[in-house]
Amino acid sequence: MSQLLFRNVQKRFGRRRILERVDIALTAGQCQLLCGRNGAGKSTLLRILAGMERPDSADVTVDGTVRRWRQAKKRLLAECIYLHQQPYLFEGSVRYNLNYPLRGSRVARELRIREGLEWSGLEELADQPVHQLSGGERQRVALVRAWLREPRVMLLDEPTANMDSACRQRTVELLQLLKGQGMALLVASHDASSFSGVAEYTWDLCDGRLTDAQATPAGLPEKVTPIAQRARGTA
Amino acid sequence: MGPIADSTVQALALLFGGDPGLWEIIGISFRVSLTAIALATPVAIAVAFLLAFGRFPGRRLLITAFNTLLSFPAVVVGLTFYILLSRQGPLGEWQLLFTQPAMVIGQIALALPILIAMGHSSLQATDRRAWETARTLGAGRIRSMLTLMREARFGLFAALLAGFGRIIAEVGASMMLGGNILHYTRNIPTAIALETSKGEFAQGIALGLVLLVMAFLLNGLLQLVQGKGRPVA
Repeated sequence: MSQLLFRNVQKRFGRRRILERVDIALTAGQCQLLCGRNGAGKSTLLRILAGMERPDSADVTVDGTVRRWRQAKKRLLAECIYLHQQPYLFEGSVRYNLNYPLRGSRVARELRIREGLEWSGLEELADQPVHQLSGGERQRVALVRAWLREPRVMLLDEPTANMDSACRQRTVELLQLLKGQGMALLVASHDASSFSGVAEYTWDLCDGRLTDAQATPAGLPEKVTPIAQRARGTA
Repeated sequence: MGPIADSTVQALALLFGGDPGLWEIIGISFRVSLTAIALATPVAIAVAFLLAFGRFPGRRLLITAFNTLLSFPAVVVGLTFYILLSRQGPLGEWQLLFTQPAMVIGQIALALPILIAMGHSSLQATDRRAWETARTLGAGRIRSMLTLMREARFGLFAALLAGFGRIIAEVGASMMLGGNILHYTRNIPTAIALETSKGEFAQGIALGLVLLVMAFLLNGLLQLVQGKGRPVA
């Protein structure tokens, strides 16, 4: 999968319109930033893209085939990973959590866990119970755990909320690494400035519609998704 | 010494002297109740999951029904199954009345509401993110359910102990469905009732002590298990 294309994503909660004909493409090796005020529907959009929340309607193009969201759900769950704003860590140690998404032999899993711990600089916390971790450490554990699952797409909901600047910097560095490995990233955040160095493109979700916000300094025009280009053209 | 003290001394002598009749009754009790709880638990957990996470018409009514059944008297459960299992009853052909399987059936009926109601509460109290995290990390439905059970294990364990506590100590259903037959269906509560009615308190006290010690141990175990748990945000 080099691109996941979502068209006509619509969602209402009761009479309240959350998403209205949203189009978005998630492209390998590209990071997009999703901005919007509280309650704008950023989390809902991310959860729909991750296959976790049913939209009222949505068409998903995977490997050139257009499918309804329901038909694509299984594929979305397999390809995408969603990280909550406050990530949930299963009770137990950091190692237990990192082991969760892994398959294969015990030796192979242990190697991957070690790799993940080194990658994230969490080696010293391997056997720490998760309830003893700080907010920033929890976020990093969740990020590594997600990375170990090797998804094609990572959807992050306010990944730097309530973090100090050092933690924020470390998280952004990890995202940069993920992007470098060819992962498609979509980050929902209020804090656009933190991601200016990693995100190529910024979206603004307002009144259920996704609009073209300003391209970030690191934006690479040739990498902008077709949908984004179309949005720019019509903006 | 007074009669109570005398009976207590005799009870301790029976218990620690390894009285075969007494230990046989204890064995029957545990065999029947453990079988009942083992059979009831998987069904109860499945129903608890359905009630906690399923969305279907009549769900609230079912929850209310199971909560109501929590206070259903054991003797009425006994009566219901007595009618069903008696020769003229719809299940009379099974010829189960006054057998251990009949006691197991009665105890399953008694344990299910507790297991379901408490299990449902525990599962519903788990963080929604636990399920979503399991799913997004690639776990299938079954593994996600097992993960959720792990997260809710203290509540589920408490439900298990409460269910077991109720059925091992109940007398009504066991008496009616088992018939209190010596060496076969006489269990702790029916033996206590019988011995007390005969004015022989020693065996009753001894069996009562067993129930008391068991309740203490089970609650101690629960405290121990819960003490190891930590809230996870």
